[in-house]
Amino acid sequence: MYEPKIIGFLCRWCSYTGADLAGTSRLKSPWNLRAVRVPCSGRVSPELIMRAFDEGADGVLVLGCHIGECHYDNGNHRTAKRMPVLHALMEFAGLEPERLRLDWVSASEGQRFAQIATEFTETVQALGPCKWQQNGLPIHTAEVMEVPDAGVGG
Amino acid sequence: MPYTTQIQDKARELLAGDQVSCVIGYEVGSRGRTRPAFIYDPDDVERLVWNQNCTHNLTTYLQDKLRPDRGQSEEEPRRVAVVVKPCDSRAINVMLAENHFAREQVHVIGVACDGILEGAGFGKATEGVLQARCERCSERTPVVYDTLIGEAPEVETSDEAAFADLADLEAMTPSERAEFWLSQFDRCIRCYACRQVCPMCSCPTCLFERDDSLWVGMRIELNEKRTFHLGRAYHLAGRCVGCDECERVCPMDIPISLLNRKLAKEIEVQFAYRAGEEPVPSPIITILSGEEG
Amino acid sequence: MKVVSRDGLAAWLDSLAQQKTLVAPRDVDGVLLYRPVASSAEIVWDYTRPVLSIKEAFFPATERLLVIEKNQQRVELQETLPEGEQVIVGVRPCDARGVKALDTLFIETEPVDTYYARRRANTTLVGLACKEMGETCFCTSVGGAPDDPRDVDVMLAEVEGGYAVQAVTEKGEALLAGLALQDVPGEPPKPVLNEPVPLPETEAWPPHFDDQFWEDMAERCLSCRICAYVCPTCRCFDVRDEALPAHNGHNRYERIRCWDSCTGEVYRRIAGGHNPRADKGQRLRNRFFCKFYYYPQQVGSAACTGCGRCIDSCPVNIDITEVMHHLAEVSR
Repeated sequence: MYEPKIIGFLCRWCSYTGADLAGTSRLKSPWNLRAVRVPCSGRVSPELIMRAFDEGADGVLVLGCHIGECHYDNGNHRTAKRMPVLHALMEFAGLEPERLRLDWVSASEGQRFAQIATEFTETVQALGPCKWQQNGLPIHTAEVMEVPDAGVGG
Repeated sequence: MPYTTQIQDKARELLAGDQVSCVIGYEVGSRGRTRPAFIYDPDDVERLVWNQNCTHNLTTYLQDKLRPDRGQSEEEPRRVAVVVKPCDSRAINVMLAENHFAREQVHVIGVACDGILEGAGFGKATEGVLQARCERCSERTPVVYDTLIGEAPEVETSDEAAFADLADLEAMTPSERAEFWLSQFDRCIRCYACRQVCPMCSCPTCLFERDDSLWVGMRIELNEKRTFHLGRAYHLAGRCVGCDECERVCPMDIPISLLNRKLAKEIEVQFAYRAGEEPVPSPIITILSGEEG
Repeated sequence: MKVVSRDGLAAWLDSLAQQKTLVAPRDVDGVLLYRPVASSAEIVWDYTRPVLSIKEAFFPATERLLVIEKNQQRVELQETLPEGEQVIVGVRPCDARGVKALDTLFIETEPVDTYYARRRANTTLVGLACKEMGETCFCTSVGGAPDDPRDVDVMLAEVEGGYAVQAVTEKGEALLAGLALQDVPGEPPKPVLNEPVPLPETEAWPPHFDDQFWEDMAERCLSCRICAYVCPTCRCFDVRDEALPAHNGHNRYERIRCWDSCTGEVYRRIAGGHNPRADKGQRLRNRFFCKFYYYPQQVGSAACTGCGRCIDSCPVNIDITEVMHHLAEVSR
């Protein structure tokens, strides 16, 4: 079975800390999730999510603070309003809706993080590899030319 | 009195009385094609026309004409007049809500519209065949105007009709939809005509055309093109008024309006909001000045 | 004249499609474009011209030039040169003429563009004469003709029962080997021509550089790029380095080039933010001056083939023939 690549956008104050707690508590949580820490889930704009899928993500998980607990008061209100709109758009464009998920995890909810991450990874795995990403430009020939050591920084 | 004469008379009055510096309307250009016209002299108003080829959304020219920070400094704010159809008039409300200019700066000549012909603007109009957006249109009177030309009949159109052609796509499986859109975007040449013609697309630097290629590279290639179109549709959520000019101008016949109308439907369903009915911003835009809604 | 029957032509094209990439006008979701076809059955024969010219075949909308891989101190460059032969069938003379303007930039000026040169060398052009000029066509006014065979390798012209076939170059003759042709008396019918459009002399343009005309016309211009992208001769491009996913732990980038257009607002913006062509009028003026003054000054002929695509596609009726008429009038 293929192993999905999950990109997780986790807000610095709640969900990222929650994920960290899951780690220090030695809770089992899938390695497939690659965390990207953002200051607030409200920062997660459509371009980030579409870029993740364009670069080959099989699933994107956006986790923020519970409503009412956002460090910036209403950052997660914006996420809550906007994500369903983006979700509808991407579904309309042919993305399976289960590949994008928005949820809320607080800093003390290590268990909840592990549970959501596991659930989401299993869902995405069951869907198979994501076909959103299109092939880049075809490479015609590869005539490799080695440039002599120019002493550039490593 | 024919609409053309009424528009000409009004334009003459506004220009001669120095109430506006320019009237943005329609004229007949080369090869009999209707096109946007910019009239500055009361003696030139005879150029203005109204016909069923007046497809352009002239409000797209307003920001450049009125915004003082586009390299023009003046003591008195500029004033122009613009001829609008009902769909175009809603764009004015959206721009007012977003503070692009003050209401006093625009004299709106609203036309109660009978519908615009398919093929208009390209000299390919077929008599009697209206554009799809006009077939769907539920209002024939502009929502904001200073002068109203004509009186439109009440039109019976349901909300279902407005979004009916989305149903075909919505009924497909995700992979069928993906295939449909990829085959459409395949033809896209990133000419940006859709963006340029849109009154609401007015960012000084488009997010999808940045020199530092932040989210979308410059390739004219599927991933990028798709992200451009979806991203633009998202940025127009709750702001697009459905004039469908983006779709008309596309040289590759890509059904761009499907994306915009899908989101218009979502916004209507989730927020009970329709762009441009009032000068209030889209529900997914954040207003930093006050309490969160 | 030498003639091939419709069936004979179809069979020959089918066999060509097996050996090389065959590009021809094809209906793509209702839009006519020059695209690769698997068999002659896909080819559309009855048309004015496809929406885009054939410049895509030599100068693709996006092209990878290099892949650059950085492995600590070593930098590896991989060239990605195009391979494979192609035959483009159904090329209108205006489109073939347009390739000449691209040749001037890409191969007749040093340094030679290897990518373009390769494609050019590997491509054979089979032209199709127009029976009549389209509504917006004006090729005869800029030195061309609807049946002009000068810039193709083989010229086809529709006649009774088939097509007249004329080998124009050695490459064309080589391509035609194996195609049975019949000798038929007569000549293909002369195409129906349009009213000519005045072509102002090259030196007529500079005195009108500062005319209000450009700003007035550009007021309705949207600063999109349709006119340049559909044009057979417009050839400006942008080059960028963009990151690729890392490979074996090494950083990778690709250098790509894409179509660009002087009508776009950002085109002439330079480091520091200054834009010498910030106004639409300046940009539109530049487009016409490039075609009718700058290019002829250097090369001799106008960089316009009279194909009429820009007229068809411009959403706000900016009409190149209107510009030519105006210039001719004010320079009398």
